[in-house]
Amino acid sequence: MSQFDTIVIGAGVNGLVAGAVLARRGKSVCILEQGDTVGGMAGLTSSDGPALAHLIYNLNSRVRRDIGLGGKDWPFKSKALPTVSLSEDGKHVVVDGAAVRFADGSDHPQATACSDLIRRLTRYGDLLRQLAEAPPPGGDSPVSRAGLKQLWWLGRFGLGVKRLGKSEMRAFLQVLLSNAYDFILDELPDGRLSGILAADAVRGAATGPRSPGTVFSLIYRMGHGGDVTLPQGGTAAVMETLSNAAKQAGCTLKTGAPVVRILTDNDHVTGIETASGDRVYAKQVLSSVAPLPTARLAGLHHFDIEATRRIRNIRARGTTAKVNLRLSRAPVIPGLPGNLLGARLLFAPSADYVEQAFNPAKYGDMSSAPVIEAVLPAPQMDRPWLSTIVQYAPSDLSGGWTDAAREELLQTTLATLARISPTLPELVEEAQVITPDLIEQATGAPGGHWHHAEMSLDQLLTIRPANLLGRYAIGPKGLFLCGAATHPGGDIMGLSGRNAALMALEKTG
Amino acid sequence: MTLKPDYDVIVAGAGHNGLTTAAYLARAGLQVLVVEKNDWIGGAAVSRELHPGWTYSNCSYVCSLLRREIVRDLDLPKYGLQVIPYEGGASFTRDGNYFAYYSDHDALRREMARYSPRDADAYQRYSQAIMRQCRFIRPFLLRDAPDPASLRPRDLGEMAYLVKKAHGLGARELGETLRFWTMSIGDFLNEHFENDLIKAHLAGSGIIGTGLGVYSPGTAYVLLHHYMGDIDGGIGAWGFARGGMGAISAALAASFETHGGTIHTGAGVAEILTQNGRVTGVALEDGKVFNAPVVASNMDIKRTILRHVDRDVLPEDYVRAVDRFKIRGSSAKLNIALDSLPQFPAAPDHASFLRGDMHTSESLPELERAYDDWKIGRWSEKPYIDMLIPSQIDPTMAPPGSHMMTVFVQYAPYDLAVGGTRSGENWDEAQRKAMAETVVNQIEIACPDIRNHILHMEVRSPAELEREVGLTEGNIFQGELTFDQLFFNRPIPGYSDYSTPLKGLYICGSSAHPGGGVMGAPGANAARNILRRETRAGRMKGYAA
Repeated sequence: MSQFDTIVIGAGVNGLVAGAVLARRGKSVCILEQGDTVGGMAGLTSSDGPALAHLIYNLNSRVRRDIGLGGKDWPFKSKALPTVSLSEDGKHVVVDGAAVRFADGSDHPQATACSDLIRRLTRYGDLLRQLAEAPPPGGDSPVSRAGLKQLWWLGRFGLGVKRLGKSEMRAFLQVLLSNAYDFILDELPDGRLSGILAADAVRGAATGPRSPGTVFSLIYRMGHGGDVTLPQGGTAAVMETLSNAAKQAGCTLKTGAPVVRILTDNDHVTGIETASGDRVYAKQVLSSVAPLPTARLAGLHHFDIEATRRIRNIRARGTTAKVNLRLSRAPVIPGLPGNLLGARLLFAPSADYVEQAFNPAKYGDMSSAPVIEAVLPAPQMDRPWLSTIVQYAPSDLSGGWTDAAREELLQTTLATLARISPTLPELVEEAQVITPDLIEQATGAPGGHWHHAEMSLDQLLTIRPANLLGRYAIGPKGLFLCGAATHPGGDIMGLSGRNAALMALEKTG
Repeated sequence: MTLKPDYDVIVAGAGHNGLTTAAYLARAGLQVLVVEKNDWIGGAAVSRELHPGWTYSNCSYVCSLLRREIVRDLDLPKYGLQVIPYEGGASFTRDGNYFAYYSDHDALRREMARYSPRDADAYQRYSQAIMRQCRFIRPFLLRDAPDPASLRPRDLGEMAYLVKKAHGLGARELGETLRFWTMSIGDFLNEHFENDLIKAHLAGSGIIGTGLGVYSPGTAYVLLHHYMGDIDGGIGAWGFARGGMGAISAALAASFETHGGTIHTGAGVAEILTQNGRVTGVALEDGKVFNAPVVASNMDIKRTILRHVDRDVLPEDYVRAVDRFKIRGSSAKLNIALDSLPQFPAAPDHASFLRGDMHTSESLPELERAYDDWKIGRWSEKPYIDMLIPSQIDPTMAPPGSHMMTVFVQYAPYDLAVGGTRSGENWDEAQRKAMAETVVNQIEIACPDIRNHILHMEVRSPAELEREVGLTEGNIFQGELTFDQLFFNRPIPGYSDYSTPLKGLYICGSSAHPGGGVMGAPGANAARNILRRETRAGRMKGYAA
């Protein structure tokens, strides 16, 4: 028998961060991971293929600070990648930071409009990031200390919006809830530009760019400056850094220990039981698994009927698959200079293309012409991996994800890639097709959804993952959610774990 | 009444909102002239005899949203307005069954239980949730939307009212409200119901008139927009205006004229005249010129600003924002004269729901696919139809024994795609006929012998709606009902108080808060703002002059 102050279930980004934050505040923490390695969904790999998450764009600086790796203590550099919008006619467009030009170096006629738009989105993103960096308000009396803190926090956000100036503030409040398709096309008629922004607005989501609320997602992505980075050593290195931070802070980290039950006594958590029957005791349990599996671990009888219904109604339809291709050599993309082969390569030739790709997903079919984000993490390497994210491949595919369906997805992906590099399919030596069902199997995330719960407006901020469950604590006393399903959501950001840890600390003092 | 050269206010367009604004202002003692391009009044709330003996409500066709405050203030029943509620409705299926919707709660429960006992239970929660949202939103309809970027006392006051109302909901309801407003009707229904047909029946109101699909976030609000009205205090109830929708316009016009107002038909506004950044009057297409310090435009904001105002007198930002205002045609209409009542073989004889709204869509995916067709510039292969036979309740609509049928069609694009181009010009006779064929096929699901009864059929695509009524792109709401174009964002952020950067020019149509539907609220709110701002400035003389 072992006793800790806090148990964290799951050693993904958020679990590790939550553990490290709590341990650094003097709590004894035990992190339990079902798999044999840490890293959760982001670090998910198949044999020696690249990890599921191949790029990082919003690892939060407050998270780094709170786990003891702030500022210069962060151990390695990440390289900001330019984005290339691939075009079938070889006239690719490069977006580097806010600078826009053609891949052959010539000027793009909409470069200024695009740069302005990116700068605007980044500015708005900066505001939304402030909302992400604290637990959402609610629940506390406005005269209590916690209540005052929330008021101060809200006031600061309000002031930030006000400081945009009158006309920018109006524009912000208008575009915040609008759809990416119209918003982008109003400014950028060139499909190569509108396509990649539309694709970014819906990445990982079960929605198309014409759906209202997609500008919000786009802004959210830009919340950390908008840079897309490729970490040295890949995602695995980031995960290792996080797990070292947790260990250094004093966390006990156990892998290969799937939790099968959250123990309770008198409506208060007392610990957990693992598959091997071991029990670990603690007064607080933070779970980085999704709300429904967490509730099941604790027992649904701890939840009233309304809470149960809300948890069951959380939408999490994964729509994104990972296709890793081992190539015999670096591919040739006509029109793309060799030095850009290592960029983030996007195939989304127009906003309409992205919307059309989404259509079949609504009815449980995969896109016949998918949106693809491809990265060659090491183009100079022998037999390099091409890591691609393919959208849309819905988790609820009609007929299920059989081997034949996976093969179809692979062929569709290759056919799409052949549109910009006709010789690429011939180079493929080995392929890994990681569909949402496999992601769910490996991680337990419902629907294999990147964010455990759809990042749509009705599941964000105070109502993430569901109404009245937005303050991390759920069900029996001492139980908290700390995964991507909570505010502010997924990606390799770490804020869900950090915010949940702060909330748990607040509850125990 | 004879025309004079000078008025206090000129209202451009005799739609129901223009007439509402005019009637309120006339009651306040101002000299008001309404000018209308058509030879008849009413805009999209009209009754027209296009086939001898039959009256068509050929645009809007049912009534619920008209605010009762307006009915009362303007004494509309005194001027002949009578609204007759209709009972329920139904969705018919291809395999010869139907789901009936009854306004009688117990009957509805039994009908739902026929498909799913769980759904019958869920309906309790569903209708409560909708009703709560209706109660929350209704007080805002006849108030101004505050500009959050402004520190004017009025805006702060309205903002405080909003915060107070939101706070009054309590944490739980506030969360539910935030969710509801940002959800898709498909997701909302999926949370409550399991039966496809029941969901399809209820989802229709979430897409009527919009360029969104049942899975698009924000469509739950559109549903609310169709539920927040009332008839005789019955929230969510719909009815027919006796004599067709034109009866509403006629009553508004009579109320207006009784208070000294003048309506000039047959010549639309050619230009809104300005001098030194201020409105001075209007020049009509027939060459007449009328002077007034205030012009209220019932036309949609795009038409008003882009076609009738000299761009040089407006700030560039504002014109760009108007240019980007989303106003997409998405619906068509068939108005049909029937020689007798057609058969609905699935329904029991004389079923009450045959007198209500009838549909033929069977599932949410079917509705969403209808939207996918629209996105690429085609009318839906299996459109959502909302059809009614008002002559069963209102005998004034057709000769004895004969009937009039109104069929609303969703989706039909304004910019029809033909041979690689997308344009409103593509709507020629052949295209209209082909679309009508699609719709009649859809009607046949419910009533297979419909073709034998058709005496005359009027087919209206969004292009006709634009040409005849003047609604840009044939959008029935004068602008999409999406978050970025609602409340303080409607029509343009910073101008939700019905004003424009051009002094003296006001927007009083559905482009303004709270939006479309035969509601009258934009018209009433615009009148209030005109009175507040312009009479205080002493620009209007009223009868004293």
